[in-house]
Amino acid sequence: MLPRVATGLRVAIAEDSVLLREGIARLLADAGFDVIATCGDADQLRAEIRVTLPDVVIVDIRLPPTHTDEGLRAAIDLRAAHPGLAVLVLSQYVEVGLAMQLLADSAAGVGYLLKDRISDVPSFVAALRRVAAGGSAIDPAIVSTLLSRRRRDDPLAALTPREREVLELMAEGTSNQGIADRLTITLRAAEKYVSSIFTKLGIPTTRSESRRVLAVLLFLRS
Amino acid sequence: MWTMPKPGLRTALGAGLLAGQAAVAVAGLRQGVPATHVAVVCWLTTSYSISGLIAWRHRPGNRFGPLMVLTGAAGLIGSLTWLPATVPHTIGQVADLLPLVLIVHVFLSYPSGRPAGRIERGLLAVGYAAAIGLQSVAVVLAFDTPLYQAELLVVSAVALAGAALMVARRRTRPLRRSLTVLIDAFTLGLVMIAVLLVVGVFGGPAFPAVQRVAIALLGVAPVVFLAGLLQARLARSSIGDLMVSLRADPADLGTPLARALRDPSLRLLYWLPEFDAWTGEDGRPAVLPGEPERVTVIEEKDAVVAALVHDPALHEESDLLAAVTAAAAIAVRNGRLQAQLRANVEELRGSRARVAEAGQRERRRLERDLHDGAQQRLIALSLNLGVLENRLGADPSSLALVREARAEITTSLAELRDVAHGLHPSVVSAHGLAVALESLAARAPVPASLAVDLPGRLAESVEVAAYYVVSECLTNIGKHAAATSATVRVSCDDGTLVIEVADDGRGGADAERGSGLRGLADRVETLGGRLRVRTPPGEGTRVRAELPCSLA
Repeated sequence: MLPRVATGLRVAIAEDSVLLREGIARLLADAGFDVIATCGDADQLRAEIRVTLPDVVIVDIRLPPTHTDEGLRAAIDLRAAHPGLAVLVLSQYVEVGLAMQLLADSAAGVGYLLKDRISDVPSFVAALRRVAAGGSAIDPAIVSTLLSRRRRDDPLAALTPREREVLELMAEGTSNQGIADRLTITLRAAEKYVSSIFTKLGIPTTRSESRRVLAVLLFLRS
Repeated sequence: MWTMPKPGLRTALGAGLLAGQAAVAVAGLRQGVPATHVAVVCWLTTSYSISGLIAWRHRPGNRFGPLMVLTGAAGLIGSLTWLPATVPHTIGQVADLLPLVLIVHVFLSYPSGRPAGRIERGLLAVGYAAAIGLQSVAVVLAFDTPLYQAELLVVSAVALAGAALMVARRRTRPLRRSLTVLIDAFTLGLVMIAVLLVVGVFGGPAFPAVQRVAIALLGVAPVVFLAGLLQARLARSSIGDLMVSLRADPADLGTPLARALRDPSLRLLYWLPEFDAWTGEDGRPAVLPGEPERVTVIEEKDAVVAALVHDPALHEESDLLAAVTAAAAIAVRNGRLQAQLRANVEELRGSRARVAEAGQRERRRLERDLHDGAQQRLIALSLNLGVLENRLGADPSSLALVREARAEITTSLAELRDVAHGLHPSVVSAHGLAVALESLAARAPVPASLAVDLPGRLAESVEVAAYYVVSECLTNIGKHAAATSATVRVSCDDGTLVIEVADDGRGGADAERGSGLRGLADRVETLGGRLRVRTPPGEGTRVRAELPCSLA
């Protein structure tokens, strides 16, 4: 067999269910990713990454041996050890607190998605590409939990329904172009919504989209 | 043989000793023995004989009384030297030093009547060998020899060593305080004997005077012992006080018993036949000490009911112990019933905790099975459908079918996630209370502020219980409180986890309403904690749960 030529982004997968691991690997190969490693636990993943550094790592939050937070800890460690490495964490539950632990002080190259999202292949592949390119992908469930939170003197009440939609997409890590595509509006219109939201909520504006994600999440969480 | 003397025999013995001593004293005075000397020797022998007989009467099971009587008798025999006739005079000479060694014996045998240890027994053996063996040799040969002086020094050394042993024994053995005064008197007496003999060796001019003072002082020792005995009899009047305090039906029976027996170390243990075990007054399992002299078993109708664990010295006051236990019999019976109830409660608490623990373990296992089984398979299935959907291309009807199937699976997964979470909140056990509570507070039905201050992870059962308390309280607030805001506070202080959930709603919550609060209280109490609800009408509701906890 001829050595495989890397045609796309290089991915490593850590997932203890063989069924899912192989399923994700096949899906990504179909989508043109180069799956360089599939691992059953966090230690194996660390060992693989010492040999070949991938562009992005997909890691299940619940891994052997204790099936508690091994995956999350591995993701946080890897991000600290390899600043350029993008990490997408998958889980059967999503928690605001865990998202914040994972992001720490930067949302660049971080994703945290419910496992169910994999089956929407185009969205999942888009999210993975975004994370690999230094963007972010925060699960809609986390964003909606934060948005639905009851507040006294709710500042979100000042937003129009359209602005709320834009805010939601921003918090999930969608770029201005992505927002424009999703809402079928012009890029310019999307930018206008974004700056209006920032003004209404009193969030300091930033040009970096990944920094924008963290700022919005912190605002919603406070 | 002396354990069961007939009262008549004891009286006859006393009368004989007194009459004999009187006769010898009269003969001695006639022979020109100084009256002071006769008086102190009579004081010594009478003091030992009478005190010994009284002690014998009150402590028939104790060798101490007979030993003192023997000492008094030896003093009488020693005084036979006052008689001119050769045979009694010689007998008196042989027995001359015997009373002094016997006095050492008495002192080292207080209060049991037996020398406390091997060292004491060895010391006394040396003393007796010198006082009888060497003395007999001296009687046959002459008194003005180095051998006799050596004998005096040996007996003196025995007395001094005895005094030192008594001091050492007092340091290592916890005797009741009232006895220490007596022991001081005895130690002084032993030092006096030693001084007496050393002075004798050097034949100083003060010898007769020192001898008389010392003998007079030594005669005080049995009187002091008798005083101790009388004090013990006085203690019986404390039985009256005991009866009075028992009438008040004290929850803690050990304290009045300790007071009546003047033993602060006293503990009362109950025998619970159902558990085949000893238990303390609190119903917790206890162990009976192995030393028999520390334990007095209380029986009723030949069945063991309870036991007193006390100072070994109390063992000698068996009649006092018997009186106290008789006085406390009814209270002990009641106390035992209470201890039994407490033991049952303890056992119930334990089995309740075990049942709850087993239940929680089972729910955790089910959650894990769901997570690793059905949930993973459904995700893999929907993943495959997703891939299929991607590959189908443009066949609208097939695409619609696949999308519908995928949506169904997504719904099923959401439902399964709720079921799994209901079984066991794995976020709590995997990531801790703070993370899990943040989502709860974010989804709360009213604006909820959350303050979690924990030094680290706690035991899983405690974290899970705390999670359910907050979850249930927030649900209640949404359903019943008509509140506009809530606060959740979780903190750990001094081994207690405190969870407080308060709202500003209408208050007046019914603690028994539904199974919510009652179920929470059960959950908290199972872990040895407690739940309090303060809910005055119109002033909101405050639920406070306290759980014993330690860092995991």
